[in-house]
Amino acid sequence: MEDWRKNKLAFMVFMGPATFWLLVFFTIPVVAIWVYSFGERGPLGQTYLAFSFDNYLRAIEPIHLKILWKSIWIGGLSTFLCLLIGFPVALGIAFAPDRWKNPLLLVVVLPFFTNMLIRTFAWIVVLGSRGVVNSGLGWLHGQADWLLGFAGLPDVMGQFTPLEMLHNNYTVIVGLVYVHLPFLILPLYATLEKLDRSYLEASLDLGAGQWRTFFSVLAPLAMPGIVTGCLLVFILSMGNFLVPDRLGGTDSMMIGNLIAQEFSKARDWPFGAALSFVIMYPVFIFFAINALMMRRRERVRAEA
Amino acid sequence: MTDIVAGRRRRREVNPLEYLKRPWMWLTLFGCFVFLYFPIVTLVAFSFNSYKRAFVWKGFSLEWYEKAFNNQALHEAFINSMHVAAVSTVVSTALGAMLGLALYRYWFPWKGTYEGIIHLPIVIPEICMAVAMVIFFWAVGIELSLYTIIVSHIAFTIPFVAVVIRARMAGFDVSLEEASRDLGASEWQTFWFVTFPYMIPGLVAGALMAFVLSLDDFVITFFTAGVGDNTFPVKIYSMLRFSVTPEVNAASTVLILITLSLTLVAMIMQSRWTKGKKE
Amino acid sequence: MRKFGRSLISQVSRRAFMQGSVAAVGITFVGGANRAWSAEEKRLNIYNWDTYIGEKTLGTFNARTGIQVQYDLFGDNEEMFAKLKEGNPGYDIIVPTDYMVEDMISLGMVVPLDHSKIPNLKHLDPAFTNPAYDPGMKHSIPYMWGTMGLGYKESAMDSAPESWADVLEPSRAAKHSGRIALLSDSRAVIGCALKYMGYPMNSTDAKQIAEARDLLIAVKPHIKTFAADNGQDLLVAGEVDITMEWSGDIAAVMQEEEGYNYVVPKEGSNVWVDNICIPKDAPHPDNAHKFINHVHDVDVHVEIANTIYFATPNKDAKAKMPKEYTDNPAVFAPDDVLSRCEGILSVGEHTRLYDEAWTAIQAS
Repeated sequence: MEDWRKNKLAFMVFMGPATFWLLVFFTIPVVAIWVYSFGERGPLGQTYLAFSFDNYLRAIEPIHLKILWKSIWIGGLSTFLCLLIGFPVALGIAFAPDRWKNPLLLVVVLPFFTNMLIRTFAWIVVLGSRGVVNSGLGWLHGQADWLLGFAGLPDVMGQFTPLEMLHNNYTVIVGLVYVHLPFLILPLYATLEKLDRSYLEASLDLGAGQWRTFFSVLAPLAMPGIVTGCLLVFILSMGNFLVPDRLGGTDSMMIGNLIAQEFSKARDWPFGAALSFVIMYPVFIFFAINALMMRRRERVRAEA
Repeated sequence: MTDIVAGRRRRREVNPLEYLKRPWMWLTLFGCFVFLYFPIVTLVAFSFNSYKRAFVWKGFSLEWYEKAFNNQALHEAFINSMHVAAVSTVVSTALGAMLGLALYRYWFPWKGTYEGIIHLPIVIPEICMAVAMVIFFWAVGIELSLYTIIVSHIAFTIPFVAVVIRARMAGFDVSLEEASRDLGASEWQTFWFVTFPYMIPGLVAGALMAFVLSLDDFVITFFTAGVGDNTFPVKIYSMLRFSVTPEVNAASTVLILITLSLTLVAMIMQSRWTKGKKE
Repeated sequence: MRKFGRSLISQVSRRAFMQGSVAAVGITFVGGANRAWSAEEKRLNIYNWDTYIGEKTLGTFNARTGIQVQYDLFGDNEEMFAKLKEGNPGYDIIVPTDYMVEDMISLGMVVPLDHSKIPNLKHLDPAFTNPAYDPGMKHSIPYMWGTMGLGYKESAMDSAPESWADVLEPSRAAKHSGRIALLSDSRAVIGCALKYMGYPMNSTDAKQIAEARDLLIAVKPHIKTFAADNGQDLLVAGEVDITMEWSGDIAAVMQEEEGYNYVVPKEGSNVWVDNICIPKDAPHPDNAHKFINHVHDVDVHVEIANTIYFATPNKDAKAKMPKEYTDNPAVFAPDDVLSRCEGILSVGEHTRLYDEAWTAIQAS
């Protein structure tokens, strides 16, 4: 890393516009809502400014922590599945011939040009009791029944009962993986694309197997992409409220749903703001520490 | 010795890094493809449903396409969505890329705090940001319009682009830039001929991400929209109280087809262009 | 209520009124809008639910008045409220539900109406002209109404459900375990549980609300999901056999399909009324009055009711509607049931009780 003073003009040119934008159109508004988080709800849903930590104390009540914990779990599981699915895809695209890369990327992103709500609805059509999967299974069942009847074994299969696949936490995870996959594939692709293949070739030539090469060479090189992608997917899944709303069962409330409820139905903006900041503080700290760690690592390297 | 050479030669026959030539890779990619497209195919199929509820198949009909083509409000929403997504993608990709590059490259005082803050748009719950934006726009007296939507979209997509660019830059070989400078290139030339080309895949990935985020956003759009600024998601969400009809499926199908054909045209033009350049 | 607007309309025909009254009342001012009526541009910005209007309503309005309409959409009351809370971006007409009207009046977010500009109010059923949430319709005009009840698939039931017990009492809900959907609406669900237990729907007694909460937690294992206002779709798709839903949604299903029915449980339920209001700082209040009047024109209203199939408070329009509409229990609940129904009212600072109970139900 360079010290910014070495080239102040370039630093200003690169940092200036985005900093200005995020300062004016994000930080200032967010400071306003941050002030709200210390306020209180009026009887009709007004926001009264005050200075109290009541909303924060309420936010860390056991029941809200329980919801938060559940969101972390579901978000983490979705992230893991996303990585499992997304890594081969990103690798495949990154190692494809150059002229195929962008078209392949588009093939991956194309489903996401349809609205998230519609995509979520599509899963209801796919997984429903009379959905596509169940219809397919029912048909197979009917064929098997007919065949067995033909073989002199009528009624062995019994009546086909559709699988109940919708409205539980598994469907929520499937939905979350589905709607967030590009947020893993895209950063991972960006990292893998430039990967110096000679490292991998060297590893293979030196006798390491594909798996060993994968874990000791490829994965570390891809780490920045993996970390970025997983972080994005995790944060977005944890805060998602649409998917649990539509695909979830009776116990699928996640932190995103709770926050949305406070801002809308409960009309309690101060509490909603406090809940939002409860999940924003750790991320703030994470990025701040991450920046300092990178700096330190670099210094150590420079000294060595 | 000969054994090793022979072994190597055998391995060289299929380059071990041409993952696309390996069956397991094909299987995995095919599985992912099915996962990605199965719901989309269903969605397209149900756009031909003669029944108004998008969950039960009743028979074939083109009714919803006709309805979608004649629905003025839907067209306007569609155009608004495209307008917002296109403008905010271009701006946020440019700003986000510069930011990502600067964060990768420079150390400056208070960088930790700075990074903590600029990544918050990723984590802030949409509704919280939406409310914050509305409060802000009213407080400073900016009238809500299509532009306030665009401004907000840019604000929350910038950090997404920035993190992708940083992930891309993580493996950049700084010595390339040094070499360029040593050979007498100016700072600007070095950026334009060495650094920028390296960033391109990151830019593509970041732009796609920003576009999808903007196109999909409902909450922030709903709050920051002025009178008459309905976007596609706003239209769809408002249908929830009654029933979302296959009209939306039809419109989505048309969107997919438009994107596909534009891509095909772009690909053909690109291959002609590169061919022409070679000749 | 009937005295409003009578004198004008009795002398001139409706049509003539629409064209001539602008000049006649050109000097009147309304609400806080300091604007001479005649000076208004020919525009109107409506903020309403999607497809919550007749297919021709806006066309005929434009033909009669020359006013261009911009029709914008929201998905629920809270969204609309939050959108207008900081200020009105330029809407002239909004369509909130009863409890929301009450709060918006208290917060000064809607302006008083000039009934003399809405002669078609005479078509309203007197039962609707003095609502509890807005006595004397000073700020709001009823638009459509309905009930909350149970939509069910007839073939899946031994006998038609008649009580909330069928979905709320664990022992009886077990019969349809996993085939029941409740709405994802805290006030409605807890309110109905309160009704079932014999308490008022708008109870502010923490103990009663806690009892309702515990009942809902106990019955949760038998509930498939809290449907986000798409219970009717779940019903048709075969996901559930019985669902708590708003009347009109089930009425729409019954119109399309055989074998589904709707009942308002005997303990009573929620009855709601959607209303047309003019928000504060509306740029075209005169046009807004014209629009309200237009909507309650009998022929126009018949077309609206035919399209959206909710119950109408417009008695003269109702009289012109076909039998399958007027005799449909999913549109008009029987009077004796209706007498046990209550509207959801604003509970002020007690909202938090409901909010916390709802979170507890979801999280348990």
